[in-house]
Amino acid sequence: MKRYLQVALGILTAIGGFVDIGDLVTNAQVGARFGMSLGGVVVLGVLGICVYAEMSGRVAAVSGRATFDLVRERLGPRVGLLNLAASMAVTFLTFVAEIGGVALALELVSSVSEVLLVPFVGGLVWVILWRAKFSPMENTLGLAGLALVVFAVALWQLGPDWGALGHQLATADKPAGEAWTTYAYYAVALFGAAMTPYEVFFFSSGGVEERWTAKDLGVMRANVFIGFPLGGALSLAIAGCAALVLQPAGVTVDALGQVGLPVAVALGKVGVAVAVIGFVAATFGAACETGLGVGYSIAQYFGWQWGKFVKADRAAPFHAVLLLSSLAAVGVLLTSVDPIVVTELSVVFSALALPLTYFPILVVANDPDYLGEHTNDRLANLLGVFYLVVLSFLSAAALPLLVITKMGQ
Amino acid sequence: MDRPDRLSRPMDAVLHLLDRQIIDRDGLFAGKVDDLELTEYDDRTLRLTALLVGPPALLPRLGGRLGGWLLDMWRELGVTRADRDAPGRIDLADVEHLGSGVTLNRPRAALVRTQGEPVAGTVRRRLGDLLGMEVRGPAGVRVRGRVIDVRVASGRPRGGRYVVARSLVVSRGRPGSLLGYDRASVSRPVVVDRVISWLHRHTGELDLADVVRIDWEARVVHATAEPGPLRAEDDRG
Repeated sequence: MKRYLQVALGILTAIGGFVDIGDLVTNAQVGARFGMSLGGVVVLGVLGICVYAEMSGRVAAVSGRATFDLVRERLGPRVGLLNLAASMAVTFLTFVAEIGGVALALELVSSVSEVLLVPFVGGLVWVILWRAKFSPMENTLGLAGLALVVFAVALWQLGPDWGALGHQLATADKPAGEAWTTYAYYAVALFGAAMTPYEVFFFSSGGVEERWTAKDLGVMRANVFIGFPLGGALSLAIAGCAALVLQPAGVTVDALGQVGLPVAVALGKVGVAVAVIGFVAATFGAACETGLGVGYSIAQYFGWQWGKFVKADRAAPFHAVLLLSSLAAVGVLLTSVDPIVVTELSVVFSALALPLTYFPILVVANDPDYLGEHTNDRLANLLGVFYLVVLSFLSAAALPLLVITKMGQ
Repeated sequence: MDRPDRLSRPMDAVLHLLDRQIIDRDGLFAGKVDDLELTEYDDRTLRLTALLVGPPALLPRLGGRLGGWLLDMWRELGVTRADRDAPGRIDLADVEHLGSGVTLNRPRAALVRTQGEPVAGTVRRRLGDLLGMEVRGPAGVRVRGRVIDVRVASGRPRGGRYVVARSLVVSRGRPGSLLGYDRASVSRPVVVDRVISWLHRHTGELDLADVVRIDWEARVVHATAEPGPLRAEDDRG
């Protein structure tokens, strides 16, 4: 019984923890402009994160090694350091976006300017990273993130023509007024939002934090293959709501409040209240994950003690990185840069940086020296190579599309 | 973590040991294997004697302008210290087990010492200095390729453990030599294996018995034979 509860809890936190500021903003933007025609990209991205997370989770469970251990071991210290710098730049950008997202969500209820809320949010994130234990932190924020199920309820209450939505999704029917380059740009952004690199740094390091062994592989797979797709379904629900309410009204999403607008239309005040709780939980949870992601990765490259499974004073350099990156993120947001713009950039750069960490993990997942009998089977390698091609292609396309479309205008 | 001990089997020092996580007796992390100490004896045998840790061990391996610049920064930050360039040392006798990480048989507190003076008749070398060396075959003809790894095997004479270098892996320095495909320790996914194995089709093995002299200053290995094909693990040791 206890084991089933544990599995259920893992799946629920995986669902609630899946959506972050990138998913919220990008899915609403895409829904409002392109309807459900890019939904296939979300499906592709969610399957991608499943493949990627399952491999890195398996490596972490069997060998005890997390992502940036492998990056340095398999790419050498020089290429590994450049890889670290690039991946950390993207994860830090996401960290900034998440903290900004929490502040925006709190601004919705308090009417206090987001910039004034940022130091408070940043400080709270840091205190949690410093003091909270790993599992309670992950479970609480993941469960609170389930409030976003309100988007699925809203979609149902809006009573859409399901056949038409499904048809848009299946046929990838680009609206006539949009250029192909813009369409492609948002496809890359949506993919980057679904398959953000930090999720995997956090997932594999979390496996070491929770001391997974080969016995936990079943639970890990249940979390990944049930939790992530259901989380992805929430992303689609957000896009669907935007497609039903915002697209006909001609609204383009450039504020967090607009993401929640369809919920207000469908469910009224109570719906909005639940949605805002979901926004705060999802972005706050992701802020903790990205903040830890920065610390994990740097500590793993240099071999420092990392993780919340030891007392903070035993992992001083790791906690110093957490403190400095929290301060730096607050500093960036205090320049009054728009967190929504930071989010848009972070998802595109995520797509750009993905192959850097994906490739070494694909290789190690096939190395019997690390994994013994648990190396990739044929299906895992078939999907693994398919996504290697997809990721390389999207990574190469990301920057040119960003420039050509002037960030999707 | 519970894989059999790599140190008791023939292995490739770079592929299987360098850059791995060091874990102390209590499961706490204690740094990375930033470089390896090789001890050169009078009879020119090379033994793997210690793990080297810390920025003075890591930064020279970064190479190029980046490595040089970072090393200068490291010196400047502690400009008064005479031992600023000295890497930390963890004796191989402190190693309990080599798997995906290096597990030690002692706690991490006060673990790392400086190298100190070498035993008489021996010279201290670094693996990082051997890597990238040029190879000259019979009559001084340059072999295409550079040293990318050192194959070692262990023995246990009267209790102690020693690990001795047996051969050098010589390759043309194309990307992906640390992934394991060229040493046939990984062979999947098939597409990736084909591409990387093809890039490394010229990779060969030079027996240290065929090496006359290693010139550490000019960074040249002088040998009496060309590198042969890589041998499987069972044929080594």
